[in-house]
Amino acid sequence: MDFKFIPGDIPLPLPTGGLEFLHYIFHGLLVVSWVVHILFINVLLGASLASVYFNKRGARENNPILDRVAYLLTTPVTISENMGALWGVAPLLLISVLYTPLFYSASLMNSPQWLHIIYGNIVAFLCSYLYKYSWNTLRENKGLHITIGTMSVLLFYTLPPVFMATVQLYITPSTWNHGQNFWDALFRADTLFRLAHFYLASFAVSGVFMLLYGYFKRKSSDATDQAAGAILIRTGKAWFIVPTVLNFFIGPLALFHFPNYGLEAFFNHGYHWGILLTVLLALYAIHILVKEFKNDDIPPTKVWKVVIIMVVAIVTMASIRHGMRVALVSPVMAASVAKSEAFQKEAKEAYEAAKQSHLPSTTGPRGRILAEQHGCLGCHGERERVIGPSYAEIAKRAYTPEKILALVRQPVPSNWPEYAQAPMPPMATVPEAELREIANWINGIK
Amino acid sequence: MFDYPIFDMPLIGHRLLFAFDAIIHVFISHGAAVGGSIVLALAQYFAIKDNDHKFDELAYKILFTFFILATAVGALTGIGIWVHVNIINPAAIGALLRVFFWKWFVEWIVFNIEMVFLLWWFLTWQKYPLGTPGKRFHFKLGATYAISSWFTMAIITAILGFMMTPGNWLKSEFPARPDYLASLFNPSWFPSLGFRTFFSIGWAAAAAMVLTWFFTKEDEALREKAIRFFGKILWVSVPLFLLFGYWYYTQFPQAAKDLFAIGAVTRNLASNPILPWMLNLVLAAIALLGGILLYTNPKKAPLAVAIALMVGCMGLLAEFERVREFVRKPYIIYGYMYANGVRVMDVPVLNRDGFLKRATFVPDELKTVTASNKVVAGRALYEMQCRYCHTINGVNAIKDRVKNWDEKAIYSRIGSLNSSATPFMPPFTGTDAERGALAAYLASLNGPAAHAVQH
Ligand code: HEC
Ligand code: HEC
Repeated sequence: MDFKFIPGDIPLPLPTGGLEFLHYIFHGLLVVSWVVHILFINVLLGASLASVYFNKRGARENNPILDRVAYLLTTPVTISENMGALWGVAPLLLISVLYTPLFYSASLMNSPQWLHIIYGNIVAFLCSYLYKYSWNTLRENKGLHITIGTMSVLLFYTLPPVFMATVQLYITPSTWNHGQNFWDALFRADTLFRLAHFYLASFAVSGVFMLLYGYFKRKSSDATDQAAGAILIRTGKAWFIVPTVLNFFIGPLALFHFPNYGLEAFFNHGYHWGILLTVLLALYAIHILVKEFKNDDIPPTKVWKVVIIMVVAIVTMASIRHGMRVALVSPVMAASVAKSEAFQKEAKEAYEAAKQSHLPSTTGPRGRILAEQHGCLGCHGERERVIGPSYAEIAKRAYTPEKILALVRQPVPSNWPEYAQAPMPPMATVPEAELREIANWINGIK
Repeated sequence: MFDYPIFDMPLIGHRLLFAFDAIIHVFISHGAAVGGSIVLALAQYFAIKDNDHKFDELAYKILFTFFILATAVGALTGIGIWVHVNIINPAAIGALLRVFFWKWFVEWIVFNIEMVFLLWWFLTWQKYPLGTPGKRFHFKLGATYAISSWFTMAIITAILGFMMTPGNWLKSEFPARPDYLASLFNPSWFPSLGFRTFFSIGWAAAAAMVLTWFFTKEDEALREKAIRFFGKILWVSVPLFLLFGYWYYTQFPQAAKDLFAIGAVTRNLASNPILPWMLNLVLAAIALLGGILLYTNPKKAPLAVAIALMVGCMGLLAEFERVREFVRKPYIIYGYMYANGVRVMDVPVLNRDGFLKRATFVPDELKTVTASNKVVAGRALYEMQCRYCHTINGVNAIKDRVKNWDEKAIYSRIGSLNSSATPFMPPFTGTDAERGALAAYLASLNGPAAHAVQH
């Protein structure tokens, strides 16, 4: 595989302290923390949408039970937005340390849109808090309340495209181009199919969550909560089944849009068996829920069975996903490390050569050498004007060394009106003794 | 930056946006999270001791404000700092991550504890009313939150301290091998941690005084009690953070101390040695005056007094962060990496062989400077080496900096960027031909061809 760009790796060792097995721990942590993160985000997307939906229906049908369902759903939103962000930090940390040059390059190509994950997120958070904590205040003003809720949902839904475009871009460095930008990365078949797959999976996971949440609410002593629980259970089943079936079709489309060398490695490693396993598990969960579709009091063993099956399926998918990532980035990362090492070798040579020849570049009187070191010669030529007057010119004014010292510490641009557009900056740090030598050298110029 | 593509934020420059994110994060994380958790846990402790329902309720109201700010804005702007730095200076954050990975990882675990206990403490406050035995347990949730949020600050402070005073952290230069313990226990860690801790507590106490002013309009007795309570915390923390602040200052490298005056104001204003002091004294006076007036006369103090206290503290905090960032220049990791991402140790090879040659994302036709590509190649050099601090025609506009100079003068000046006149700039790195290309590009900004190149 040819890569147009191979950024060099960071020239510091990976933080394993020489313990090879830590590499496996990095990868394990990456998969696990990513799964937790994404489950929170799935629930955030599903529950925030469902809350606004039930809020609106409750207002239209004047149905307090639907209103309760909507309100109950704000608790998982608060928890999952906070925990989702928090658990996103761990994968970000791991990816930044394992695949630094690829991930950071992709974030740069996708900027400034990449910053939306911060600023868009903050506004979404604030809207969602406003939505939750104004529930009673705005009871009489549902239109406004639902508008606030809708805003937060819309904002939350704009975040996954930004993430997906960056993730897809960094794991496919073979697709990078000059002038690569965010919109190119977003409107690519692979990104779009993965995004569709992700949104559908979010609904499916939220379905399982609502099933579980409803099951607990059914056990509540409060009659409204009980009725709300039944609605959550019903909704949960439908939200799980329909998107999961759709994903059987979207999934392969996403997979086959990956670059060929990645697909080859994918099949060579036998990852497709993992996909088969996931599909079978999902089919089994669908089977259970279809059989209990009409039953609001679905037995707890079946609820837990579905939850466990789906956790196994998701961890399997996440491992396959990570396998694909490794297949795609490994060749580039190897080249990147090699490039960095080769560069360091040359850098070392040049560094040591420079240390050997420690002579300043100028020869001549010490005052001149000091003037060079302190950057005076950047602005003053010995005989020609540069940014300031030439020293020959200054020497004509016959300043005492004390006067020159004072003028360098505190210039008086009005002495040279011709140069007033870019006056000399005050220089407080040039040592007095050295400045005297420079002054004497200046005054010696004829 | 030669390993990465470039993102150039026009006019304001990315650094200003970053500063905006960072300063908001500091206001909130120091005030609402670290200091806030300590101050409010103390308030709850005394509310339980005195069985004072009104004070307990007031503490909850203040926590509500802090909670919204800390979770929606504080935490996200914290992640934002990271995202911004990975755009502005990927080489630097990449290096910091390799040195501090495990500390960051531990910080993340503690951050989890912090978040869980914050949610738990806040969401169950009313579930454990005052006077019930559960309330003591509830106080422990707050105390755990306070301890864990302080701990996350302790680790981040170590990283910031490292950037300024890395100490003897490199066991070998080629290949670079960090000494992980020395990096952590760098010379300014403890003093800066003490400084930030007591500043946070004082700032949170001040913020709580201001919020009390708003929340107790109808209850003067409560107002007096609460403002005096938070006020005492403020007065205790002021001398402590001054003390630690002085210790912190003594740890700075001399070159950084020399930059204090410029960092405090601007280069032009700093030529008047009084001004930097004036600015900080005025801010401190505003804060102190507001605090004293509010403290001595809580019942009658007008809104302006509360606002003065708030603004004074925020001004001082912002000023501190600005100075700290500025005096570290020209480095981002002191002595190891310049602010523009060039490692000090790599300068000789880049000067010998050329900078563009190494730049991964620069098109091949620009890798060697020729008469025809000079200006475009110069632009690439500007983007990789100068864009970090300058914009073309906005904040710290390079176009204005070179306004009256011809190409020859610019060429001469950029040979000594890192010298006594401008010690805060890194040196230009590259071959003589590249220096010429950069000069040609900078000259073109004000020249007749200006519009052609600026696209
Ligand atoms: C950034 C460009 C720059 C640098 C660097 C610089 N100068 Fe100047 N210098 C000027 C300019 C412009 C003037 C014209 C008068 C003015 O602006 O104050 C000047 C004027 C002077 C004068 C005459 C002052 C007077 O008022 O008659 C002296 C002496 C002098 N420079 C010495 C130095 C020395 C010594 C250094 C190095 C330590 C130095 N300069 C570095 C730009 C510079
Ligand atoms: C670490 C930040 C930083 C970097 C990197 C940087 N500069 Fe600067 N530069 C500054 C600051 C700060 C000033 C002073 C602005 C002021 O006068 O207030 C400045 C001023 C200048 C000036 C005016 C100097 C004078 O004598 O008045 C020039 C010219 C300049 N920069 C060119 C460059 C070039 C070319 C590069 C890239 C090779 C560069 N700078 C990189 C921070 C930086």
